[in-house]
Amino acid sequence: MKLSLKASQRLWTFAFLVVPLSVYFVVVIGPLLATAWLSLTNYTFSAFASPEFAGLVNYERLTGDDYFHTSLKNTLVWMVAALILPTGGGLILALLLHGRVRGANVFKSLFYLPITISMIVIAQTWQWMYQPDWGLLNTLLKTIGVEKWKVFWLSTRGLALGAIIFAWSWQQVGLSMVIFLAGLTSLPGEMLEAAQIDGANYRQSLRRIVIPLLLPSSVVVIALAVINSLRSFDLVWVLNEGGSGSSTLAVQMYRETFKSLRAGYGSAVSMVLFAIAAIIIVFYFRRVRRLEHLYD
Amino acid sequence: MTELARDRVTLSERERAQNWSRRALYAALIALVVVYSVPTFGVLLSSVQRDREISRHGLWRIPDEITLENYERALGGTNVPNYLLNSVIVTVSATAVSIAFGVLTGYVFSRLAFRGSEILYLIVVAGLFFPPQIVIIPLQQLFSRTPINDTILVLIVVHVAFGLPITTMLLRNFFSTIPAALREAAIIDGANEGQILLLVMVPLMLPALAVLATLQFTWIWNDFLWPFILIKNDAARTIMAGIVLLKGPYDKAWGLQGALSVIASLPTLLIFLFFQRYFIRGLTFGAVKG
Repeated sequence: MKLSLKASQRLWTFAFLVVPLSVYFVVVIGPLLATAWLSLTNYTFSAFASPEFAGLVNYERLTGDDYFHTSLKNTLVWMVAALILPTGGGLILALLLHGRVRGANVFKSLFYLPITISMIVIAQTWQWMYQPDWGLLNTLLKTIGVEKWKVFWLSTRGLALGAIIFAWSWQQVGLSMVIFLAGLTSLPGEMLEAAQIDGANYRQSLRRIVIPLLLPSSVVVIALAVINSLRSFDLVWVLNEGGSGSSTLAVQMYRETFKSLRAGYGSAVSMVLFAIAAIIIVFYFRRVRRLEHLYD
Repeated sequence: MTELARDRVTLSERERAQNWSRRALYAALIALVVVYSVPTFGVLLSSVQRDREISRHGLWRIPDEITLENYERALGGTNVPNYLLNSVIVTVSATAVSIAFGVLTGYVFSRLAFRGSEILYLIVVAGLFFPPQIVIIPLQQLFSRTPINDTILVLIVVHVAFGLPITTMLLRNFFSTIPAALREAAIIDGANEGQILLLVMVPLMLPALAVLATLQFTWIWNDFLWPFILIKNDAARTIMAGIVLLKGPYDKAWGLQGALSVIASLPTLLIFLFFQRYFIRGLTFGAVKG
């Protein structure tokens, strides 16, 4: 028996999708829904008690939890910092390295290298910078003769979060640089030449041509930076376990769930994280769609 | 004649100014890259010094003596080689399977669209933005009821699932760049979709697959969260989780920690050195096309 072309295509479509999508739905989408349900229960990981529906109790408790306020605030601070430090730094590096520099590839590689390294190793790297007795920063402070040179970068309130975000930005800057560079390479060169012939100076062509045409790359850089900042767990955990006021939502979720065994409460923290991610997903897809139409 | 000479003078002046600004830019870039590389250099420095020396004189100096003791110690036991082996198995198999899955889904979403496939595609790609924390608890519960609990198979499954959004997105975009006429010609020749994908499409997309392989390899190798949460059994631990675990008992073993960091970073560094172009293409291809 010979299948019609249409029927045969349908069969193949099903065959291609069934395994990958099953895995995806079982491992990602299903558990996401389960977390939403658990956040409405008093689940504690106990072998004797199964999750019991508790309504919005966990969310109510979040509103009065100082640790949560700190985590939420830090996550938002982190997102804002992500928009400024690695994004701005990456843009500057891309503009400096675009085109006319000899050996640009070597520079690019060196700035890009930390992206290929695990956050765990990045944490190690920055421990050697922040170590109180002989870390590089304190060694420098001591050398230039600062009396109170022994700064506890990772265990002082008000310093810890900034120190961690700085280390993170150091790693991420290469990522935005690369994406901006790709955007710059796709710029039509004649356009810049035409502007130059018309007498535009560097600043003018930057503002009127380069920056607007980098918009699509900027959307990507920003989305990546924000998403990566939401995930920030490894670095914080290894550097100071979220102490000294440096906790983020991802860290608090881990603490509540696996240290205090309050899985229901931890799930509520997760859902806050998801809510922020969902806003970005919607923003990103709408933006990308619009840009696609713009460039069609 | 005099006018010509003046022209030449102004020209060379402008050239000289340009030369100077170029040199200044160059110097600034070199200074920048040196400062930028200092933290990385510190890890290398710590890995070749004895802890005694670090605690006596500090880390940031030219060491009196360079030693490979830390590396011998790191690789000497059975733990670290075993962590490395686990990382290799998990990374290579999860990379391969997630790309194979991405070929299948990417092809369907690009060439075999059906009613509702657009929504399905969005659901898959949305996974790019999910912080993994939001599925940890149910996943852990789910795996604890299966026979593969606490083995490296768990890690492979998770990485395959979380790899699907990026592989699907990049490969769908890639399939869309292949001329539709190619597929139509194959259909007229009597090929079915399986044959088209395997014999016509896949040979054309080897570069795209290489791009994805470098990306996936790096991410999976560097991952810490999943083995940290899902693996309790030391025999199934991967290197990144292993390093963090070893920090506890070896709190003051700075040299050992440095050596472990270098060893754990070598595979991805080598990939980066040899496949840099693919790597960057992967990030930017996905990026620019959205």
